[in-house]
Amino acid sequence: MSELWEVLTEHLPEFSSGLWVTFRLVAIAFVVAMVVGTLIAALRVAPVRWLNRIGGVYVETFRNLPLLVLLFIAFAGLRRAGVPISPWVAGTASLGLYTAAYIAEALRSGVFAVGRGQIDAALSLGLSYPKTMRRIILPQAFRTVIPALGSLVIAMIKNSAIVGASLVALPDLLKETRQVQAETAQPDEVYFWGAVGYLLLTVTATIAFRYLERRFAIRR
Amino acid sequence: MTYLFDPDNWEWLWTGNNFRFLFEGFLVNLQIAAIAIVFSLIFGLMLALLRISNRRLISFPAGIWVDVWRNLPLIFIILYLALAVPDAWRQAYSDAIPDFFPEALQDELVLGALLGLVLYNSAVLCEIMRSGILSLDRGQREAAASLGLTYFQQMRFVVLPQGLRRMVPATVSQLITLNKDTTLVSIIAIQEVVRHGSSVTGAGFFGGVQAPILQVFIVIGLMFVVVNLALSRLSRRLEIRERRRTGTTMKPVEGLEDQVALQTDTT
Repeated sequence: MSELWEVLTEHLPEFSSGLWVTFRLVAIAFVVAMVVGTLIAALRVAPVRWLNRIGGVYVETFRNLPLLVLLFIAFAGLRRAGVPISPWVAGTASLGLYTAAYIAEALRSGVFAVGRGQIDAALSLGLSYPKTMRRIILPQAFRTVIPALGSLVIAMIKNSAIVGASLVALPDLLKETRQVQAETAQPDEVYFWGAVGYLLLTVTATIAFRYLERRFAIRR
Repeated sequence: MTYLFDPDNWEWLWTGNNFRFLFEGFLVNLQIAAIAIVFSLIFGLMLALLRISNRRLISFPAGIWVDVWRNLPLIFIILYLALAVPDAWRQAYSDAIPDFFPEALQDELVLGALLGLVLYNSAVLCEIMRSGILSLDRGQREAAASLGLTYFQQMRFVVLPQGLRRMVPATVSQLITLNKDTTLVSIIAIQEVVRHGSSVTGAGFFGGVQAPILQVFIVIGLMFVVVNLALSRLSRRLEIRERRRTGTTMKPVEGLEDQVALQTDTT
């Protein structure tokens, strides 16, 4: 038992810096995912056939592609091709673009939940299609899909470990855990604290989104 | 763009055994996925039944177990198990696995990978199945009980057939995620498609052509996209036919994948 505490007190700086890197990675990737996901969702529900197609191809590609393979393409692949991409850009962009596909699907179902009638009403009032989306539909759609966004953030926290495991220069919580384990050779104790770190993040996200849901969600 | 489509950069694909080598790696992924799917479904259902138990002494520990495993990154679990699985278990695994299984699965390391995949996915599938069962009207079970069915019969003939059918889309999307997650076992040095891909990009591989990383991993990604798309199309078709046959009123969770499918209201 005392060994357990010793590992934490001696390696607290590593664990906390790893936690902080994971947090920033997820935060930046979430912004990317929200922006791209909203755009793709708007394409998916647009009244133009070929725009739907583009959105559909994006979603089906990124949803069915392993994140690890995407990371190889975005970092090692582009580097070999002569694009000097940094690990942070590759990591956040991959995680963001990957999650964007899921966010787009969640938002699309949110848009359908808002209902055809509201779109028709807004259009008949003379609002343009982009304006209808921005002012009427999307604000409501976001509020309907808050629970889905919450579980996507949790999925992102977990997927950020894949980024850390494959990109060498990104010292996230997983990488720091492995580093400490390599120094101390006490897998049980070290991975226990790593797990506590990840559970801290996921439980915090759960609580935060439960609050947002209570505060803003529209129940249908 | 010119780099991407330059024929010189695609030459590796038809040189020597490169493509076959990648495809063999991909088959290892599919086999790992198949084994993990079978065990995850079995354990997931068992966990779900424990979690919906009326006895708190059973449901509470089961809930903690499930919440811990499904909130940890899978790669974290796999890396830990690679260090922590006792040697005796590994020995037992390599003794138990039949000879006709491919060489990559004979590796002792595979045990840790399979355990990790099953621990994580059975916890996630447990939550999916549980929400399917709970979405069923209480009256169904009460009616079954008042007809004199035992607990086992209630579950077997009334609750599970209806409850699980509702969760087919969410289950299939989780299984697709599982299929994608088999690439993670490359990190503990199991010879599957990502490892094979990295070998192909090394200098002086088959045919002496050094394959560009970008193109190799695009090909690998396409393999996954094709198989996963086929899986989801198949399940959607089955689902539509099933709904027509049984007339179950299921709110479509179609398109909502991964954790998203859990959150949708299925009543």
